[in-house]
Order: sequence, then structure tokens, then C-alpha cells
Amino acid sequence: MESSVLEDNILTQDEREILQEIMNIAFGKSAADLADVIDAHVELSIPFIKSMQIPDLPEYIRSHVKDYKLINIVEQKFWGKFRGDAILVFSSGAGKALIKMLQSEESKSFDSEPIDILESETLMEVGNILIGACVGKLAELLKDIVSYTPPMVLVEKEYSEAIAHGYYDHDKKAIVLKTDFSFDTGNVSGFLFLVTTNESIMWLKESLNTFMDQYE
Amino acid sequence: MNGMIKKILIIDDSPIARKMLKSCLPKDQGYEFFEAGDGKEGSVKYQEVNPDITFMDLTMPVMSGYESIEEIIKNDANALIIVVTADVQMKAVKKVLELGAYMVLRKPLNREEIQSALLKVHDTLQGAG
Repeated sequence: MESSVLEDNILTQDEREILQEIMNIAFGKSAADLADVIDAHVELSIPFIKSMQIPDLPEYIRSHVKDYKLINIVEQKFWGKFRGDAILVFSSGAGKALIKMLQSEESKSFDSEPIDILESETLMEVGNILIGACVGKLAELLKDIVSYTPPMVLVEKEYSEAIAHGYYDHDKKAIVLKTDFSFDTGNVSGFLFLVTTNESIMWLKESLNTFMDQYE
Repeated sequence: MNGMIKKILIIDDSPIARKMLKSCLPKDQGYEFFEAGDGKEGSVKYQEVNPDITFMDLTMPVMSGYESIEEIIKNDANALIIVVTADVQMKAVKKVLELGAYMVLRKPLNREEIQSALLKVHDTLQGAG
């Protein structure tokens, strides 16, 4: 009950729709940036916005990735006026699939490195492109500049193991922006979750309304 | 300036995106606007109103922009469809142009881009007339 009341109060319907459209534009940018370096088309979903209490977040993410036996996670924190966590979850096998895609572009220049290191580095690189372009574009549209921590990568973990890091229990409420993606090559899919918390919510609400002012 | 354009159909699942697009269009041209929230509804609306230009998003529920373009073009090979999308991957752009879209504009739109697109449409309509 408290959760639904809270959800209703964080963003108005208009603010939610503006944020959804901005997320759509931002993830479109990141997909285009990634498509520039791999030979695949990234299929995009309609972004989904949800407000929730932070302790509910791990279960929310788990409900979306429950069909994946193992997952790969790239996580980056970002901060500016807009701050939070970007959590990119890939299906199992994504690391190896991405290595193959990048190898065709890079003339097999990775052949000399051990596969587990390659997987980690590849996921980190692809994650960095997707997260950086998406968060960067979102911040740009809202007239902000953000900095990032280096990406943290977890390769082929069970979900319970992956969330043992306890990223999320540092605040009370969050706005979660979720986009599903899959590659037309059929071997990579996943979700990007952007989680922003108390510190950014008032700024975000004001910025969304300012953004729309130019279209009034 | 754009006297040959009277009816404009906007197909986008986001009411905000439709509002953003309308706000970029000139206010003094007396356009008649029609809107649809998904590709299927858009295809039906197209048949009903026979617009001079259609602005089309790609990622939509029920029926995607790709399918909607196909359906519209199948019934009207001369349909002028301007794709307005956040998905600007080369493969997406190539595909919609192959399906028969007139041009592709990248979100977020601005007034200059829309003006320029309308001028191009006007020239096309004038040439066809």
C-alpha cells in the first residue's frame, strides 16, 4: 500500500511520459553508437518507468531476468545533478557472442588473451558504450553533465550471487528506467536499468518540466 | 509556403512525442492534425483521413512503425511518410527507406529540421501535381 502511494507521488503522469520519451531517445543513441562497432542491429523496446522503494529493487530486477540461468552484469555509477546506478544485464553467453562480433571488426586481434579476461573486457567495453551513450544523452537533454565510475563487471553469475554486492540498500526510494534490448543476430539480449534515487528526484522533476517548456 | 499540405497524421505511442512534434510545426498554416497511438491504429487512421504527410515512430506497441509503413504503402504507393525515431542505426534507416518511407528524422526534433522537411515535401507535392 505504502509502495503504491509512494509511486503515485514521485512523478506525475506527464513527467513519467516525458522521462519515457527522453529515455527512448537516449537509448536510441546508445544503440546507434554500439551498432557502429558491431555488425548487428540492436532491437529496442519501449522504455518503462517505475517508481519503487529501494529494498524492492533487487526483486524487481530478478523478476525480469528470471529466465536467464546465468547473467552478466555491467554496473556503473554516474553522478551530476542526475545521479544513480546504471545496471546492464546481459543473457548468459553474451560475452562470447560479443567477442565474435567484435573480432570480425578487429581482425581477430584478441586471439592471444585468455577467454575469461576477454569476456570481461568485452562486456566492459560494450557496457561502457551503451551506458555512457544512454546516460550521457539523457543528461545532455536535461542540461546536465555527468561523471562515471569505472564499470564493474560480473561474468556468468547466478542472480543471487550477482546481487550479493548489495548495491542498492543505501537510500529509500528510486525511479527505475528499464529498456529491453536484443540483437538481430539472436544471441544477445538483456536489460538496461537506470536507477536514480532521492538526491536526484526533485532536480529530475524540475528538469523534465523545463525540457517540455521548449515545446509549449 | 506549405499550402499543399493540409492534413497531417502523427503516429507515435508517446503523447509527449506527439506534442513535441506538433509544437515544432508552423502554427499559421491551418494544418488539420490527426493522431494515432500505435502502428495499427495509424494504418486505419491513414485510410480514413488520407493525410498529405504522415509522421511515424518506429518502436510502438501493437504494430511497429515498420509494419505500419508496409501496410500504408501497400494501399497507397504515393504515401509520404516521414519517420521520426530515436532508432537511428544505419540498418533501421536503410530498412524504412526500402519499405518506402520518404525520409527519416532523428528525435528529438527541432523546428528547423521540420521546416526543412516540410519544404521538401512541398516541392515533391508540387512536382507530382
